[in-house]
Amino acid sequence: MKKAISLGVAAAMTATLLAGCGTAASSSAATSEAASTAESTAAESTAEAAPSEAHEINTTDPIELTISWWGGDSRHEAYQKALEAFHEKYPNITVSPTYGAWSGWEEKQSTALAADQGSDVMQVNWNWLYQYSPTGEKFVDLREYSDVIDLSQWSDAAKNACTVADSLQAVPISMTGRIFYWNMNTFKQAGIEQVPASYDDLIAAGKAFQEKLGDDYYPLAIGQYDRMILMTFYLESKYGKAWVENNECQYSEEEVVDGLNFIKSLEDNHVIPTRPTMIAAGFDSIDKSQEWIDGKYAGIFEWDSSANKYQSALADNSGFTVGEEIKFGDKANGGFSKVSMGMAITSSCQHPVEAAALIDFLWNGEGAAIMGSECGIPASTAGLAAAQAADAVKPLVLEANTKVLAFVDMPLDPYFESSKLKDTTDGVYTDVFDGFSYGDYDAEEAAEILLDGVSGVLSANA
Amino acid sequence: MSSAPKTTQRTPFKRWCDENTGLFFLIPWILGFLIFKAYPFASSLVYSFTDLNFFKGISQYGVMNYVEIFTSRKTVSVLLTTVKYAFITVPLKLVFALFIAYILNFKIKFVNLFRTVYYIPSILGGSVAIAVLWRALFKDTGVVNTILGFFGIAGPDWLADKTWALFVICLLRVWQFGSAMVLFLAALKGVPADLYEAATIDGATKTRQFFSITIPMITPVIFYNLVTQIAQAFQEFNGPYIITQGGPRNATTLVSLLVYNYAFKSNEMGMACALAWVMFIAVALLTVIAFTSQKHWVYYAD
Repeated sequence: MKKAISLGVAAAMTATLLAGCGTAASSSAATSEAASTAESTAAESTAEAAPSEAHEINTTDPIELTISWWGGDSRHEAYQKALEAFHEKYPNITVSPTYGAWSGWEEKQSTALAADQGSDVMQVNWNWLYQYSPTGEKFVDLREYSDVIDLSQWSDAAKNACTVADSLQAVPISMTGRIFYWNMNTFKQAGIEQVPASYDDLIAAGKAFQEKLGDDYYPLAIGQYDRMILMTFYLESKYGKAWVENNECQYSEEEVVDGLNFIKSLEDNHVIPTRPTMIAAGFDSIDKSQEWIDGKYAGIFEWDSSANKYQSALADNSGFTVGEEIKFGDKANGGFSKVSMGMAITSSCQHPVEAAALIDFLWNGEGAAIMGSECGIPASTAGLAAAQAADAVKPLVLEANTKVLAFVDMPLDPYFESSKLKDTTDGVYTDVFDGFSYGDYDAEEAAEILLDGVSGVLSANA
Repeated sequence: MSSAPKTTQRTPFKRWCDENTGLFFLIPWILGFLIFKAYPFASSLVYSFTDLNFFKGISQYGVMNYVEIFTSRKTVSVLLTTVKYAFITVPLKLVFALFIAYILNFKIKFVNLFRTVYYIPSILGGSVAIAVLWRALFKDTGVVNTILGFFGIAGPDWLADKTWALFVICLLRVWQFGSAMVLFLAALKGVPADLYEAATIDGATKTRQFFSITIPMITPVIFYNLVTQIAQAFQEFNGPYIITQGGPRNATTLVSLLVYNYAFKSNEMGMACALAWVMFIAVALLTVIAFTSQKHWVYYAD
């Protein structure tokens, strides 16, 4: 009997230890079920629908709003200053912020959204609109508040990108794309004076780095997701077609093998370190790596809005240079730009009018002058003008953004960034590019896994 | 003339209340247990037989998650890695904790300081600071390889090598041996001194005393530590999450991390629940085995 009781206690103990795994499931059930029958609808129209009723911002009663964003320290400071300015303008509205680094952020926000516990105003990644609100139930249609937010400040194309299920679920904060940045100080040490402008330049740089600086020096360092984007740039330029169109991947296995071999050629020619080499170095992100700080990694392929983060990380940043986009083929330039992030009001918000006023303040009004280019070059015309007038747009970010937008010529499917594909621990891109670099997969196997993964995500969201 | 004593007539309800007063004091705990433990526990079992997704709801019922768990290369590999992790860390941790506790049981100077210092890693848990420390130790140009290099040994790429990466994660758990050590220390202090005196008179060596007196006398605590450490090892999350994120190539992805990935990254809550239940059953089975085996090796003085 004594042993039976002991056994029971032990079983209860293990059950208790593991019970937490079910908590989130139970809390999410109701909302998930509601979404189960819905289908994602692509952006179709952004005709400025007049609000169904006139709205007036409450300037007398105490109102509390919440806002959330991710980013680095400088972005946090900019947001906080902008919120202080908003509070000065509307003393009755108190805005409580939640912010943090990107790492782990999406998991927290998606869980909050599932439980209808998201912040009133939310900085959202573009694909969240498609992934978490395919029926438009998680975010309000901002066209309903067009008398509070001046939506005419955004281009139709930008608004189209944020219109899901015929609902303008967010306004784009900025448009962004990938470009090369180089640490020319290291390039000069390797005897190279010009930024690489072609594939041949990259290969030549790889050899020069290895011969003159040693095995630890590389002209370029790219992670798993960067490799996927660079391969997409290569394929789109060479074959002249978008990676995904009409909810289908446009590339055959043979073509993807070509793309993977392109990445392999960069590894083989010492242009980029292998994935094992990068993992062994034990860093979270390239900008935090000693190799980047010391100039051993002399180039990155990053978002145009990230310029300052990488520049400021360098021990000697005098050689930090915005590079040129590289055209790898002759059918198209290749590459894409996308909405870097958007600003949305969650459906659970109790004060959507005031939340809309906050968005307008941050991206069209005085707040935009404070935010500057902290979230990229503002997509709002008025916001950009205010930021430029306040001299708050960083020249480096503007230069990179201008080059990207002038170059790219392919559309981007929103599911390209689906967490199932993009996740750096468990995503398909990580599996494919790490597996390929480790030698676990040959090019054919890697291509098959990539195409299966992409089509799986696309069909799940069809 | 004396009046008859006044007897208060208790109603059945009042009598029931009086007899069950204790129950009323337990109600807060019972409610908390039912709402926050029992219900989630039971509902996770139900969800494990569905394809529940945070944002898409349920569209399918059945055992597909369990079939997937035992047929998919990825999940089978993660289950095996978790078993390997548990079988490496649990014995290592117990031996190490007992060894340190045994030393700290001697009358040495600053013993309280040492006890505190050895306990500190346990309270650090999994944090960014630990991740930074561990990476600084084990990166290719880290402290460990620098020391090995001093002796002319070329250290491996600890974080990138699929075998060594798991060892790095195991080491973190072993390093955090403080709680087991404290329990061992308490048990060692409880061993009657007269047993050692008698053994010494009989000519037993210290080693013989350790294996013939100390170990048998503290087997209940060894047993307790074994069961709790097995449960904790199977639930290990912090180490792989903060240091390797499950890499390289899933070599350090343990079941808890995979549960997290399914639940919060790909929102496949049904699959996450099924994996959690597989983990629960595995831990429960090992616990049953441990309890069954105790009659052969655990000595209760009473």
